[in-house]
Amino acid sequence: MDKTFARGVIRMTATSAPPSPAVRISGLSKIYKTGFWFLPKVSRALKSLDLEIAPRQAFGLLGLNGAGKTTAIKIMLGLLKPDTGTVEILGGHIGQRSIRNRIGYLPELPYFSRQHTGRELLAYFGALHGLSGKALSSRVDEVLELVRMTKSANEKLAGYSKGMQQRIGIGQALIGKPEFLICDEPMSGLDPVGYKEMRDIFIDLKRTGTTLFLNTHILDEVERICDRVGVLHEGVLKDIQNVTDIMDSDLPVDYWIDVKSGEASKLSGLPFREAVARHEGIHVQGAALSETLALISSKGARVCGIRPLSSQIEAYFLKTIGLDRIISHAAVPSPGGAS
Amino acid sequence: MKKVLTVAAFTYRELIRSNMFYVWLVSVVVLSGLAMVLSMLSFGDSVKIFLDLGLVAMEMGGTIVLLLSLAVTYNTEMDQKAIFLQLAKPITRGEYLLGRVLGFYMVVGLFVLGMGLVIAGLGVCWGGTIPGLFWASSVYLLMEMFLLCTLGLTFQMMGTTMVGSFLYTVFTIFLGHLIGEIEWLLGQDIASWIKTLLRYIEIVLPNMEVFNLKDRLYDPTLILGWAQYRDTFLYAFGYSFVVFMIGWINLEKREFK
Repeated sequence: MDKTFARGVIRMTATSAPPSPAVRISGLSKIYKTGFWFLPKVSRALKSLDLEIAPRQAFGLLGLNGAGKTTAIKIMLGLLKPDTGTVEILGGHIGQRSIRNRIGYLPELPYFSRQHTGRELLAYFGALHGLSGKALSSRVDEVLELVRMTKSANEKLAGYSKGMQQRIGIGQALIGKPEFLICDEPMSGLDPVGYKEMRDIFIDLKRTGTTLFLNTHILDEVERICDRVGVLHEGVLKDIQNVTDIMDSDLPVDYWIDVKSGEASKLSGLPFREAVARHEGIHVQGAALSETLALISSKGARVCGIRPLSSQIEAYFLKTIGLDRIISHAAVPSPGGAS
Repeated sequence: MKKVLTVAAFTYRELIRSNMFYVWLVSVVVLSGLAMVLSMLSFGDSVKIFLDLGLVAMEMGGTIVLLLSLAVTYNTEMDQKAIFLQLAKPITRGEYLLGRVLGFYMVVGLFVLGMGLVIAGLGVCWGGTIPGLFWASSVYLLMEMFLLCTLGLTFQMMGTTMVGSFLYTVFTIFLGHLIGEIEWLLGQDIASWIKTLLRYIEIVLPNMEVFNLKDRLYDPTLILGWAQYRDTFLYAFGYSFVVFMIGWINLEKREFK
């Protein structure tokens, strides 16, 4: 509310100030020094990273291995100190206990003391969040139910599969009812069922207003869960986009066209005739799809399937890090050409 | 303090349920048995010799338990990076470290207490009486073990490797028992730079001989009063406190890549 004083009258003007971001990162840089003190090897993990994530938003950070994603997360969590720059989370600093109480974190392939049961582990992390007594035990039960681990709750972690450990990992991240959840490669090591369950958990969390930060290289995950996506490459944030904008864009997507192999004879004169005869499909770039289909149709051959080989997100990612031309040139010699 | 106790209880459960517990049981049986056999083979009062050797066995066993505990927690916390998750929670690094230290104290304390009772029980069954100095010696041993726990965990927090932290701890224990020899050397006619070096070593190293009552279990001239207990406790507490603070400062500064 703005207060304006005019002729002794206070006028209250309602303004719709934008909500302060859940995360505000400015000018974050990190250099790793290895080797001997007199002969140091320097590698720049992050170069002046600026990023804002709105509350209740699901943000996906994409990048190749070694792009600096995990470094960014560790700085956000206070496990690493930046060389320059600041991080503000939920309006405060990560060093504040009250701020950390509102954050959940799932590392890549989490490891826990194998001597405890799943229930004991969640109770431990719950206690670190300040829960105790009945509140703690009911929250533990609630989280076990949420991550579908109630049945195995009293078994020792030594007997847990990778997927179960990942689920108990997300459980410990959720035990304090976080407003902001940071996940580093959350789908690592999960089977298809575990993958789907984890995805459903994230979608549920998003629905209930939790701000999500997913560090991943599974592009499908980003497409289904995230609202915004950023691409980190060699320590530099190359671009940030809304996922819907990427999906609506005309970025080139590759397709695979299946033609009935018996109809290869009808395709005489076309470069992909041999491929069809060998029961192979035709690999084309999106721009050449309609042209290729028209060619096949004009020869009287029948197409029995068209499958997208890549997604818009993948095309966006490759384009942003400058690998689109290299990869498509290697995979597709020419538009409409057989692979 | 509640969070410190939570970490301590978690550490205690982790250690007591690990394979180390079986090592503990085996070492109680083997070391007590060994003390018994050796005392039977020796001349003199077998029970007295048994209690004497029993205390040596307690010290050896306690050190083994401590070193194994350090190895267990190093693997989980540092190599497998379980520490990341805990430090990302609303707990300070100081609380975390204090909790770990207390968890170690509980395990090592349980070992010393358990083995002390076993040795004393066997001594009584053998028809002997347990001198008050046996219990005093056990209390001193407990203080020594607490100091070593703090030292071992501090080395662990200082970013060394598992082998490194293991070797530093063993080396410090070994040198700590040589304080008497260092003092003897200082009294000799040696180069001044060596004397200066030895003085620094004497100050920095824990003096393990302060806790050594084993050799004087049946010394009639030794009379322990509250002042001796207090001084030994203050030494153990003071040294552990300084070492803990160094560990804490290191942990605060440490970056987890």
